[in-house]
Amino acid sequence: MYDGMEVALNGLGNDANYWRALGEGRLSLPKCAGCKRWVWPAPFRCSECGSWELAWQDVEMKGEVYAWTRVRHPFGGAEALGLPYVVASVALPQANGIRLFGLLEPGDDAAIGLKVTGKVRTTHAFDRDVLAISWSPVA
Amino acid sequence: MSTAVVGLGVRQYKRGAAPMSEHGVLVRAIVDACEDAGIDPADVDGFVTYGDDKNEPVRLMSDLGTKELSWSSQIFGGGGGGIAATFGVAAAAIISGQAKTVAVFRALVQDNSGRMSAAVMAHHLTDYIVGVGLTAPAVECAMRAQRMLEHHGVPRQCMEDLVRASYYHGARNPKAVSYGKELDVEEYRASRIIAEPFHLFDCSRENDGAGVVILTTAERARDLKQKPVYLKGVAQGTGKGWGDLLQNDADYASAGFKSVSRRLWAQTGLTPADIDVVQVYENFSAQGIASLIDHGFCTYDTVGEVVRYENLIAPTGKLPVNTGGGNLAQGFIHGIGTAIEAVEQLRGTSANPVPGARYSLLAGGPGAPTVSSAIFSTDTE
Ligand SMILES: [Zn+2]
Repeated sequence: MYDGMEVALNGLGNDANYWRALGEGRLSLPKCAGCKRWVWPAPFRCSECGSWELAWQDVEMKGEVYAWTRVRHPFGGAEALGLPYVVASVALPQANGIRLFGLLEPGDDAAIGLKVTGKVRTTHAFDRDVLAISWSPVA
Repeated sequence: MSTAVVGLGVRQYKRGAAPMSEHGVLVRAIVDACEDAGIDPADVDGFVTYGDDKNEPVRLMSDLGTKELSWSSQIFGGGGGGIAATFGVAAAAIISGQAKTVAVFRALVQDNSGRMSAAVMAHHLTDYIVGVGLTAPAVECAMRAQRMLEHHGVPRQCMEDLVRASYYHGARNPKAVSYGKELDVEEYRASRIIAEPFHLFDCSRENDGAGVVILTTAERARDLKQKPVYLKGVAQGTGKGWGDLLQNDADYASAGFKSVSRRLWAQTGLTPADIDVVQVYENFSAQGIASLIDHGFCTYDTVGEVVRYENLIAPTGKLPVNTGGGNLAQGFIHGIGTAIEAVEQLRGTSANPVPGARYSLLAGGPGAPTVSSAIFSTDTE
């Protein structure tokens, strides 16, 4: 009955700009227009100052690995990634440490603190194409 | 007014081996719990569940003969974070006079309701999640576990010791799926890796079955068949900086209990030192350890001294944990077994009893952004 996973939403909250930018190969993240705080996931309302306005800014895809796992079990929905694959949460110091999911490719040197750069890639899950960030270790 | 547990019922089967549909298994477990309590199933007038259980109480009425359905509820969230919270809302209903006798239940027969892990993830699936293969709770929990080990320095040995203690208890519990089967440590270490750092044996089972706990007023409990086990305190929820935040949580490598445990200790006036026995919901071994840290039984720095095999086993350990075998070794009907064991310890009917236990802690979750904890007691108030 949960084969209905294909109805997965595009994103969470007020994040259409994120997906639009990713589709153009860019990373764009929201700041609150009122208090200038980086906010993520993108809210409709700033919880700190009450502003309803977001100011989106392009951010360089540079960060460091905050957490990771190397997956070896064939979980449903991840078939297109092959095994093993490495999922990472990457912190972006230039955006006040906001953390974004991505694939670490190659993932052999996965470690917390690893410096990485990202690019947009397309993967495939639940019968549809999905955009994701592919992070690679900085040479 | 206070409330007490008066009846327990559980039917547990291997996944795919339930002899009846989920509805039938649940009715059996409710009737078992009523017989245990010495009450008529028709007198149960309230029902509460968690974790997206699909069994609407109104559909049980024709099996149970329910005289009047007075109250029903469900805790939000797809994971096991709501287990202890069910007792909180049940007690609130009883104390406010909305219901007299409440069945807390969880039923899971996977031919009917699908894989539970998939149901849990359905709450969180977005393109962020599926695009990077984060489609199972094991992957999400493995990332947090990896940071706990690599960044916070929690020894890998703690995971192994919690698994060993769970199997020690399960091997001695006739109700456990691992009854009679000791864990072979070499087999554990050599078992296949699911998502680093989790080996197969670090991951909970999924069983078919249903578990039921009947709660009523303390006053009525004293006239019933079993020794009453009182609900001492309960807290649910989460604090600011935690939630469904795409892993942007504060206290990332935790189990999310920080605010819940603070409120639980404040509400009961107890401290971790007062607790005689603990049941932690461990969907994965590392998350059980994180729960113990969150509740103040140890810290990232002392966890290696506290979460040790000898300490965790009943009756000799200083901190007996998951004395029925837990989700890892007793069986996993979405964690309802841990609530039942928490009560059995105070009745004195656990297969691995902690002698003289007075305070029994149940940590419900992690596995959902909101979690809950409860303390049961032999104290009448
Ligand atoms: Zn603001």
